[in-house]
Parts: sequence; structure tokens; C-alpha cells
Amino acid sequence: MTQQTSAVSYDKQRQTVTARLKKILLARETGVFVALILMCLFLWQATDAFLTVHNLLNVGRQISLLGIMAIGMTYVLIAREVDLSVGSIYALAGLIAGMLIVAQWNLWLAIVVGLMVGMGAGFANGALSTYGMLPSFITTLGMMSVARGAALVITNGRPVTINETAGADPKALETFYFLGQGYVFEKIPMQLVFFIAVAIIGTILLSRTVFGFRVYAVGGSDKAARVSGIKVFNTKIWTFVIMGFLSALAGILSLAFLPSGQAGRTGVGLELDVIAAAIVGGASLGGGEGTILGTILGVLIIGVLRNGLVLMHVSPFWQEIAIGAVIILAVGIDKWTNVRRRT
Amino acid sequence: MNDQISPIVELRDISKRFPGVLALDNVSMNVLPGEIHAVVGENGAGKSTLMNILAGELQPDSGDIVFQGNRCAIPNPYVSQQMGISVVYQELALCPNLSIAENVSLSSASTSNALSFVKRRRFAVKAREVLSQLGITDIDPNRPISKLTVAEQQLVEIAKAISGQVKLLILDEPNSALTREETDNLFAILRQLRDSGVGMIYVSHRLEEALSLCDRITVLRDGKWIDTVAAANVTVDDLIAMMVGRAVDDLYQRATDATTHTQTIFELHDLRSGNALKGMSFALKAGEILGVAGLPGAGKDELVECCFGLRSYTGKIDIQGNAVSIHSPSEAIQLGLAFIPADRRASGALLVMDVKGNIVAANLPSVSKYGLMKQPAIRATSQKYVKELDIRIASLSQKMGTLSGGNQQKVILARGLATNPSVLILHEPTRGIDVGAKAEIYRILQDLAAEGVGVLIVSSELPELIGQCDRILVMHDGRITGQFTRDEAAEEPILACAMGQTTHF
Repeated sequence: MTQQTSAVSYDKQRQTVTARLKKILLARETGVFVALILMCLFLWQATDAFLTVHNLLNVGRQISLLGIMAIGMTYVLIAREVDLSVGSIYALAGLIAGMLIVAQWNLWLAIVVGLMVGMGAGFANGALSTYGMLPSFITTLGMMSVARGAALVITNGRPVTINETAGADPKALETFYFLGQGYVFEKIPMQLVFFIAVAIIGTILLSRTVFGFRVYAVGGSDKAARVSGIKVFNTKIWTFVIMGFLSALAGILSLAFLPSGQAGRTGVGLELDVIAAAIVGGASLGGGEGTILGTILGVLIIGVLRNGLVLMHVSPFWQEIAIGAVIILAVGIDKWTNVRRRT
Repeated sequence: MNDQISPIVELRDISKRFPGVLALDNVSMNVLPGEIHAVVGENGAGKSTLMNILAGELQPDSGDIVFQGNRCAIPNPYVSQQMGISVVYQELALCPNLSIAENVSLSSASTSNALSFVKRRRFAVKAREVLSQLGITDIDPNRPISKLTVAEQQLVEIAKAISGQVKLLILDEPNSALTREETDNLFAILRQLRDSGVGMIYVSHRLEEALSLCDRITVLRDGKWIDTVAAANVTVDDLIAMMVGRAVDDLYQRATDATTHTQTIFELHDLRSGNALKGMSFALKAGEILGVAGLPGAGKDELVECCFGLRSYTGKIDIQGNAVSIHSPSEAIQLGLAFIPADRRASGALLVMDVKGNIVAANLPSVSKYGLMKQPAIRATSQKYVKELDIRIASLSQKMGTLSGGNQQKVILARGLATNPSVLILHEPTRGIDVGAKAEIYRILQDLAAEGVGVLIVSSELPELIGQCDRILVMHDGRITGQFTRDEAAEEPILACAMGQTTHF
């Protein structure tokens, strides 16, 4: 009832500068961005170490794996689903790839197998949550346990270490370590390079392609999407496959960074960080909303906060409390201000 | 009139402003005890805002509410209820998992101590008492709501509303989902309540009914009070003129005379689906507007679902003479069908998406290349339809959820038209849409038919079908029981066929 203006301003989309500015200011990302800047300004003043190239690149590396997975989660959340199994898939795929490397498989083949395992688990999640007619909360809760168990079975519960002593080929190891620990231009960590690459591809896929459009449509209303001829189930399954692929990629990179993992510990509880980052960045559990840019900002908020708390020598126990409070605040502020925006 | 009786509630110069819109502009009205007072107006006229103020959901910016002679404020719904104001909303607000009795006693559950024991037996007694007050004795109060028909749920809703000491009952489109018989039954109950001294406000789009049921009618337009008239002194046309601010001529009349239609473009042969469709055969010709009438449960819903690949069927479908099988909406779209679903909010609109996204959603191949969306093409397509269908929006990026019902429906229509269909299937195309937008949608459908599109309207609004269609098919129990040409069409014989009492071919 608010928009009965017969204004012809849609013509040519000639929005005035103020209208455009208003749109930018009202965007969900802006709020998160402002919060991030304020946080950075504070840390710059409060600590000496924060605003140094070294520290910032370090933050960049620390958030990369979380960021890669949060981008996948953004797709799943926009499609109005959720994936709780990402931490387990991260562990399973990484450990499988690691064991194959130790077994002197070709490095790339080992990595591809790891990625395929992730995509396979994602496909199973997706198929069960659509054709299987189960809520994704249930299927991925199950998969969380199944994948974790599978990792325990194949490693027999023992830690997997990827080094020459364990039997890996030294040349392959060098390349593998480079993926996780290396730098390009001597300063930029490889993990960050992967994150940036995934972010760029993820942004294009979501905001520029037909597939991305379908993801938004399906999350907005699966009935309306179906009636529009969109294959709802297939679209949802693809988001889970992407999520599985990115979880596996992050898991493999983490093992290349710290070349030892244990099925019972690697990536436990990671799913909550991943979901939190996407949600802080504006993705909604109600589906249909969220952007990759927002998620990246969400990941940065969590990363900078954690870094800042460390630099300020806050105890790790208090760090957890602070991060939890920020998650609630970030979503809360959006909701509370949204009430006014909608009426 | 009735100056000697003091009103139950009197609204004086109520104004309410929302960001960007003055929803109510100095509106005054009153409701007398033992009166049914209709409030009519187009969508956006301010009806719901006014009702929400009485319900305590919204606070007026200025103006007074006088309840039984005392000036008062209604800060929240709880106070409203305590004062004796009950609201029956269009969307049913029952807990489907609870029984009739529990739902009827729901408001008492909100007032008593949280740790006191639930007295289920007393609930049942109370529910039976209230229901019998409504003249309903043949219903088990222990049945869960989810097992009831919509009409029965509606009655439970009213029972719940009058279970306390109700003085003012507000009904917001209470019969939009009811059949004629159920509506008659409901009205009888409302009249009975009126005679017991309850004051009622009745909000509806159905003007004929407002005239027959109500004592006085208040017309709102654009948030302003236009007039309050005695129902006996006005006609539907008078009301429409007041609502729209101009006379809408022949709302339900097809303007151009139908040309002769020769080429069959869409034909069903012995279509069957489960227990719902028991052999449907008919042919739709190019340029024809064909209506399908029938009561709820006759199989109309299933018919449109089969035609658009949303439900499996046996039998044969021909499109332009070629036998096709339709398993999914995407196939149906490729075959040149377009579908406008009945439930706009749930299965039509992509509410969180913007207008342009909604318009191109069914037509992605033509606005993309190598899987990439072409923004200029999206804008061009959207603009074309926004202009053609006169969709009123502030910008193409406006969120669908912020549009009025009529504009949403036009956007959904645009989505269907963007696929260049040869057959357009509409299910309840004007449900919950105001008079002005209705007339515009009818005009669009007539233009499409004139261009040679075959239009199939499946609707439960008989005046709409009789006014718009070249031919009307009537369904009863999964079969066609009647066919009426434009000249033969009239409400009574169509209803007789719909109830399975007679057939007419």
C-alpha cells in the first residue's frame, strides 16, 4: 500500500544521486562495512601491531579457509537450506587426500579425489534434502556424523602426518606445502590467493549468472520458482555440491598448511563459524537473501575481531564470548533497524 | 440515523502516517450496537490500518477513539481484547496442531497462570457452548483444526472471537475462501449475532454481499473518509464509483464482441488424475477466453496443475495439433503455456526479489548468454511490460513484497507474457485484488485474446467468468457437467451444474 506512486522514474533507471546514495546506505553490506571500519580504527589506535602489512596479511591468511567455506554456505543459505556437515567434510576430504599423498599417489590425483569426496558428500546432502524430502537440517546433521565417522574409520582414529618420514614423495610434498604455506610476490599467502580466487568466481557465479539467479529465486519461494520453470531440486543440489567442493578445498589446504590432522579433532565445530560468518554478512536463514561481498565482510569482522582480541591480550576464553556477542549484535542490529525500513 | 443509540465505538479524526504515505487522513466513523457496518475501499485505501488501530496493533498519530462513551487508548492487542474487541483476520490465526476446543479457549490460556493445570474437559464444554450459540451442534470439539475444512476453520475462528465478552467484532474478508452455501451460512450466523446486540465491522471486496449483509457502509479512498451510507440507499455501482473516484463502466463486461474462433491450440482428451479428475475433454481455440467454473473440490485446482506439469495425469494433451506430454513447468513453458497461479503470495510472487527479477524469472534463456545474465536485456524486457501493463512501481529494483496485490499480480502476469505464450492459464486471476486493478487485468486479457492467445480462466468468481469468457465449462466431481456460451451464461444454471444437479451442453 506504500508504493502507489505512478512516478515514471523506472524509465531509463535514471535514479537521482540522492536515491542512489540512499540505496547504498540502506544496503545490508554498508552496515557491516561501517562496523568493520570502526573496529579497524579502534584497533589502529589501541594497538601498535594492528595496522602493519605483516599483521594484515596474517589476518588474511587466518580467515581464508573460513572465508572459502562461508562463500559456499552463502549459496546454501540463499537457497533456504543449511549445511551442518561442512566441518566433517573438511576433515574427511583433507585426510583422504593426505593419506593418498602419503601413499605416493600422484599429488594432483590425490587432491582431485579429495575434492570429489567433498562434492560426493555434498551431492548426497542435496539429493536427500530435495528428492529425499528430508529437511537439510536433518540430512546434514546425519552427514556430519557419517563423514566424521568415515574419517575415523579410514584413519583408524590415528593422526595423519604428511611428511617424508611418513612416506610421501619429497617433490610432491614441496608442491603440496606450497599450496598451503607458500607466498606469491613473497608476501601474499597462497591461502589468501585461493580465497580471493574463490571470492571472485563465487561473486560472478552468484550475481551474474543464470544459476545465481535461480538460487535466489528458489530461496525466495520454491513454489514460485517451480511455476516459473526453474528446476528447484537441481538448483538446490548444486548449492550443496558447491558447498562440499569448497569444504574439501579448505580441508586440503589446511592439511597443506599444518601437515598433520586427526579425524577426531580436525574441523570440529567449524560449521558454526562458517554459518555465523555468512549470517553476520547478511545471508538469512529464511532464504533468498545474501551476497558474497556481505559474507566476505562477515568473515573479515570475525577475523579482525579475533586478531584484535589477541593483539590486546584478551584471554581466549573472553574471545569466545566477544565473538558470540558480535554475531548476535550484527544480526540484531539489522533486524531492529529493518523493522523501520519495512513499515 | 439512530442518534438515540450511543455507539459502541467512535473514531474521531484518526490519522496515521507511515514513511512516505498517509495511510489514514482524518477518518471518522462509528459502530452502533446491533449493527453490521461494512468498510469498503480499494487495496491501500486504509481499511486494514484502521482495523489494526482498533485491534491495538497500531497506534494512531492523531485522533480519538471513544469506546462506549469513554475516550481511550488501545496500546496493544491484549487491551483491545479486554475491552471486548475481537478480530477475525482473513488469514486464519488458529493453531492447526490443537483441537477446536483448545483453540476456542486460547485467549483464556493467555490470561491465566502459566503453571495452572489445563482444564481440557472445561475447554470442550465451553467450545460446545460457544459453537451451539453459533447454531453448530454437529461438530466434535476435540477434533484437531488440521482436519477441518476451511469453512469449518472459519467458524471456529468466529467462535474463538466471541468466546469472551465480545462487544465489537471485526471481520476482515471472512469469506474469501468460502463457497456460496458456506457464505450464506456464515451470514446467517452474523445476523444472529447482530440481533444479540454485537456491533460488527465487516471488511470485504465483495460489494454485493456487503450490500445484502450490512446496515451501513463506510467508503474509504486513499486513506480518506469518502462517505458513510445506508446500505438500502446505494447500489454496487454507486459504491464502486465512490471507491475508485470515477465510474467504472461495465467492469465485468467484455468490451469487444468475440470473433469466431477456428484454430484449436490446446486440447485435452480424457484427462484423468487420481480421484480428482475423471475424464476431462475440451478444446481451447486461439483468441478464445474459456472459463472453468466449479465449487471447491470439483477438481479445478488439479486441472490447472495437470495442464502445467505440476501433477501427473493420464490422457492426452494436444498443443496446436501435436500430442505432447507435460511433466514439469519448464516443459510446459517451452510448449508455449504460461500459468498464473492462484496463491499469489505463496506460489506466484518471489517476494524478496525485485520487480525485474520477477518479470524475467520464467524466461531466463532470452535474457542470458552463455549462462550469464544480460542486465540490459533484463531491464529492457521488464520496462516493456511495466509500461504495457501499467505496473505502478518506483523503480525496477523495488522489492516485490512492497507492491500492492494488484501490482504484484500484474508483475506475475508480465512474467507469463514474457515467455510469449500461445496459451495463458489463469487460476483465480483477481482474488484479493481491488476493483481498479481488476478492470485493468480484464482489459489485458481481452487484448491478449484479440492477439490470438488462448486464455483459460479457472475461477470461483462467477460474475468474472460470465463477464469475461466466450465460453464457460462447469466442473463437478472431476467431470465437465456443463458448457455455456456467452449468451447462455447466467449464475443459476451454472451453479446448478456445479452442484451436480443438472447438466447442460
